[in-house]
Amino acid sequence: MISIEHLSKHYGDLCVLKDVSAEIRKGEVVSIIGPSGTGKSTFLRCLNLLEQPSGGAIHVDGVDILARKTDIAKVRQKMNMVFQSFNLFSHLSALENLTIAPIKLKGLDRQTARTKALDLLRLVGVAEKADHFPHELSGGQQQRVAIARCLAMDPEIILFDEPTSALDPTMVSEVLSVMRQLARDGMTMAVVTHEMEFARDVSNRVFYMDEGLIYEEGTPEEIFGNPKKEKTRAFVNRIRTWSYRIGSPDFDRYAMNAEIEAFCEKHILPRETRYNLALAIEEILEIYKPDLRTAALDLAVTWSEKTDALEVTFERSGEWPNPLESDQPDDFGMRIVRRVAEAIDYRAADGKSRLVIRIGKN
Amino acid sequence: MIRFIFLALLALVAAGGDAEAAGAKLAQVDDLKDRRIGVLQGSAHVEYVEKTWPRATLLQYNTPADLLLAVKTGKVDAALSDAEPLREVLREDKTLGVLGGNLFSFPEGVGFRKENTALLEQFNRFLADLKKNGVHAEMVDRWMEKNITEMPVIANPNPGGELVVGISDGGLPFVAIKDGKLIGFEIELSERFAAYLGKKVRFTNVDFSGLIAAVATGKVDMIVAAIFITDERKQSISFSDPYYEEATRVFGLKKNIAAYGTSITDADSGLPFLERAAASFHSNIIHEKRYLLLWEGLKATVLISIFATILGTLLGALVCYMRMARLSALNVPARIYIGLMRGMPILVLLMLIFYVVFASVNIDPLLVAVIAFALNFAAYSAEIFRTGVEGIPTGQTEAGVAMGFSRLGTFFHIVLPQTVQRILPVYRGEFISLVKMTSIVGYIAVQDLTKASDIIRSRTFDAFFPLILVAVLYFLIAWMLMLALEYVERATDPQRRREAARA
Repeated sequence: MISIEHLSKHYGDLCVLKDVSAEIRKGEVVSIIGPSGTGKSTFLRCLNLLEQPSGGAIHVDGVDILARKTDIAKVRQKMNMVFQSFNLFSHLSALENLTIAPIKLKGLDRQTARTKALDLLRLVGVAEKADHFPHELSGGQQQRVAIARCLAMDPEIILFDEPTSALDPTMVSEVLSVMRQLARDGMTMAVVTHEMEFARDVSNRVFYMDEGLIYEEGTPEEIFGNPKKEKTRAFVNRIRTWSYRIGSPDFDRYAMNAEIEAFCEKHILPRETRYNLALAIEEILEIYKPDLRTAALDLAVTWSEKTDALEVTFERSGEWPNPLESDQPDDFGMRIVRRVAEAIDYRAADGKSRLVIRIGKN
Repeated sequence: MIRFIFLALLALVAAGGDAEAAGAKLAQVDDLKDRRIGVLQGSAHVEYVEKTWPRATLLQYNTPADLLLAVKTGKVDAALSDAEPLREVLREDKTLGVLGGNLFSFPEGVGFRKENTALLEQFNRFLADLKKNGVHAEMVDRWMEKNITEMPVIANPNPGGELVVGISDGGLPFVAIKDGKLIGFEIELSERFAAYLGKKVRFTNVDFSGLIAAVATGKVDMIVAAIFITDERKQSISFSDPYYEEATRVFGLKKNIAAYGTSITDADSGLPFLERAAASFHSNIIHEKRYLLLWEGLKATVLISIFATILGTLLGALVCYMRMARLSALNVPARIYIGLMRGMPILVLLMLIFYVVFASVNIDPLLVAVIAFALNFAAYSAEIFRTGVEGIPTGQTEAGVAMGFSRLGTFFHIVLPQTVQRILPVYRGEFISLVKMTSIVGYIAVQDLTKASDIIRSRTFDAFFPLILVAVLYFLIAWMLMLALEYVERATDPQRRREAARA
């Protein structure tokens, strides 16, 4: 239904979309996920030309919408959009928000338009508020009216631009369930979202966008269950990373500890876990200390929001023997490490030595 | 309420009028040497006072009525006036008296544009005829001596073409308005000359200080307004042979002039206040159908206000569009226009358009007033519109565009209705201030409400009543127009619309 070829978009020197090619088929629900600032919204807004692409081609039902002679307003009528900030017309009641476009653009008579609008408001559950003005509605209600407003034009596809990002957590589900309902009814949808569960459960396909590209594309099972690329995996597992480079034995231990503390604070790790993490790092560094003069050590703490796994990685160049085994295994420090670690993995290959310790829950 | 305000104002002004003038009483003309002296702006009196009493304070007024008001309220100690109109004034107002005898006398002539020698020569031949056959002497007798205010019937069958005559209604015997018609010595003279030429006469009533400019720029064919023939004026226009020799006299309040003694009282002041007000009402409004003047003035004021607003709003929308355009070829001219219009006094703009832009075009001054005020209003309304449009969240425009409205359609169906609702309160204020600003159109000979009151004042010599009356009338116009706009504001309010629908 929509095919996108080599789409790119620059703002001056800033390149937001490098080279995006994709296909959205009729009846499909496509979720577009990815970190902030990677061009998801820009990509969506290029599809109905709210943003003028810098290059590439977009065909909607075979019509080249970038062609000069194409009446873009006509194309937009069958490809409506739901915005993050709702954008209801504030001088019109909920009902009038639904009727204005059908009356003015499709020449529907007032009565027919009103009847149909009321049906749609009933569908999204805000028929009771038909006479209310946008500022009298809650965010969730406004967004549902906005979805109904799209439906009033009988669109072939609806573009959703982060429809739940501006909502209170309590109102997110009411909007999502309306969207689930639409998906079940076979509406073609392209959804930019941060709601991973929605993306996994409702969509047919998922685009993971990063670096101005569709970095990885697949079914929800592929993207969420078995992502092929590193960044995708980090994103879908919601992996948070903190890293630090230790260049000499006299490094600023206090600054490093403060950063670790801040990282734990940010992701609300339990007190016990924090204590174990600090203990493990301190003891391991003690073991590595003699070699710090010759080889810099890269320290990384990663935490996966999804699996709740906390790992600390020590990496240095050169293939070193495992320091935990070489010396005295009955050392007091080593005993502590073994107690707090759930798993310890050591690998020395390809000119790098890497020690990964998974911190236990208690 | 209005009655109360009216009475309070009247009392205030009357109190001002009773204020004692500073200094000793005036015994002779030379006592004026260090006093405040009032004169008509642009008259030959200005030069005389400057030369004769260099230490005196010279105060210039635009109309004879203002000059009279200044004398009566003690703003000046005495004033200079042409003898003939003064005679009329003294007949009506017993509190005023003359000081000394004639200061000097000057011949008065009709002014023409320098290039227009043909008309000048025709007039001189006409005047010579008039003097020879005794009509001139008979006119002087009727207007100056016998004080008859009836216009004779002047036969002028099948006139072809038009003679535009600039006049200044300084009061009888030269020019005055009675029953809504112009009368006076100079009106008769002009009509006789028009009949002599076989043309139709049209009078343009201009402030005295604007007369020379009006004839020099060709706005009028000739000016007849008791103008002294002076060398200085001869440099800008040419004069006909004199048609009257006018003396100049000094007048002031009798109580300030030694010759009148101390027992002078205002004949009217003995009457109860309400009776005096009723008498003022009669002489200023009913007598000689002066309500017609007020009605005409009212129409002019309302007409200028409404048409200038409509035109200014349309032009303002265009300027606003240009101002908001990204293209600098559009938005730079709009910025300059707005800056220029807001930085220029509207009076200056009015005069520039009338005397410079349309200098040699025969254009109705009413139209010039509409254009000038529209140009000014456009600058203000453009900025009001811009703030209104910029106040609408861009998200709503995007939503409109995304659902398939064209840019224009989005503007008309979504942005505009909200803008109107937003800007109406500010717009209303701007509109009301426009209505009041129109009071300056008298400068280009439009007879609006203010000018009508000036004309009445110059006839009745009653300074207070006409001023308060127009104040009340302006208030009423502003109030009614405000109500009308408030109605629009309510009608376009979506909340109220819904409540109305529910009711």
